[in-house]
Amino acid sequence: MYILAIESSCDETSVSIIKGGKEEIATVVLSQMDTHANYGGVVPEIASRMHIENITLVIEEALKKANMTMDDIDAIAVTYGPGLIGSLLIGLMAAKTLAFAYKKHLIPVHHIAGHIYANNLVKRLEFPLIALVISGGHTDLIYMKEDYSFEKLGGTLDDAVGEAYDKVARVINVPYPGGPLVDKLAHQGQDTYNLPLPLDDDSYNFSFSGLKSAVINLVHNEKQRGNEIIPENMATSFQNRVVEILTKKTMKALKEYDVKNLIVAGGVAANKGLRERLTKECNENGINLTIPEIKYCTDNAAMIGAAGYYAYKLGRRADLSLNAKASERLK
Amino acid sequence: MKYLFIDSATATLVVAIIIDNEIAYIYNKETGKDMSSTIMPVIEEAFAQTALTPKDIDKIFVSTGPGSFTGIRVGLAVAKTMAWSLNIPIIPISSLEVIASTPNTNNNIALIDARRGYVFAGVYDNELNEIKEDKHILLSDIKADGTYISYDDFEGLKPQIDLLKVIKKHEKEQGENPHTVNPKYLKLTEAEENLKKKNDNANK
Repeated sequence: MYILAIESSCDETSVSIIKGGKEEIATVVLSQMDTHANYGGVVPEIASRMHIENITLVIEEALKKANMTMDDIDAIAVTYGPGLIGSLLIGLMAAKTLAFAYKKHLIPVHHIAGHIYANNLVKRLEFPLIALVISGGHTDLIYMKEDYSFEKLGGTLDDAVGEAYDKVARVINVPYPGGPLVDKLAHQGQDTYNLPLPLDDDSYNFSFSGLKSAVINLVHNEKQRGNEIIPENMATSFQNRVVEILTKKTMKALKEYDVKNLIVAGGVAANKGLRERLTKECNENGINLTIPEIKYCTDNAAMIGAAGYYAYKLGRRADLSLNAKASERLK
Repeated sequence: MKYLFIDSATATLVVAIIIDNEIAYIYNKETGKDMSSTIMPVIEEAFAQTALTPKDIDKIFVSTGPGSFTGIRVGLAVAKTMAWSLNIPIIPISSLEVIASTPNTNNNIALIDARRGYVFAGVYDNELNEIKEDKHILLSDIKADGTYISYDDFEGLKPQIDLLKVIKKHEKEQGENPHTVNPKYLKLTEAEENLKKKNDNANK
């Protein structure tokens, strides 16, 4: 079964053709990152404007790359939320139009289900599993008993982890998108700054706004005293707290739910510091860890096509009134 | 000839199918925030009632704005995707011209509220010739004789669109490649305006 998948929830226009939920036939990702970098972050209206200019070009390119036509496609999967509403709508309207014009099933896919199923393109998911989803918009711990069953154990109460990275990057003068550069700096510095371990409690929830504020205050106070902060050391200190709390709560979830499979998903899964730490912990505790390669960590339609296949098998369909949702619970 | 017409640039959604210069189906209703969930079911109904399929369409007429940024894109995403996939030419139409098709003896000044005293405005005569081009402008700066026509609260007439007049005016046009048909917002985003100001100041 061939699924044509469309993802446009933020600043990437992406279309992919996926066979049987596992095999990537062709993917095209058009990133707007260079444009948004001029503004220090994603500007929703500009993102929407770029999506409408590119959507048909990206669909055409994906089909061309796959050497297929719409008649070879069995169903259309699309991200309907969560995300930027204006951005989501472009992919959604295109998907609904194709589903209508070619009489194909329309499969609604939750963006986070997509991130989780990015791992299925690397290796067939093994259940039960714990998924740690970390990105610019999400920080969630999810328990999956079987395919397409999602039990949220906890999530961030304020900033997403990627958001905290971008804000800290700004404070220590690292250009947008700051995450990868802070990660790089963190490998060059030392943990010298006294930062708190955020929301170190018994829950599976996270909170990063306190840690972010602690960084901002520390930088501010040092400046007032006429001291320069050392960006490398600040990056190391910040990243160590983030990695520590993510690892601690993830390992706790694996233990309490007696689960041997961990998957990590989302843009922050590209973080080297976190990869190293989780790899070490999982090796020591006999946990099978899957982290997809970088191209599957950031937003892409391949993951939507993978998730869409399992949603389809469960009978998930949408009619042509399907709307985009800025926020939506994973179900 | 069989045409599909889509205008979703204002709160009033217009979807029509025109067969040999007659309106075979028309939906013309205030839809507002439900535009994105309403438009495809309406298009589905349009094809069902006329017993046509998208493959039967010779040209797609679509309004490319100005108006609601999101609204324009919702209709245009449908038009572009259908036109590209079925290899149908698109004829882009001004949303203000559609409003200005309202029968009147005067020139029509079509208006769409753009907030903070601004409007999107276009001045058209009764043959839909453009007297003054579509603009994002302060209402008080419009210097033209004619009657205000608007769905929004301006003193004048409410639109009673004459779709066949709009179609007739444009149906001889070749049409454009769907990939390159894009919205005419007539206004930069706030972020772009601010960046421009900053750069202009830096250059002073």
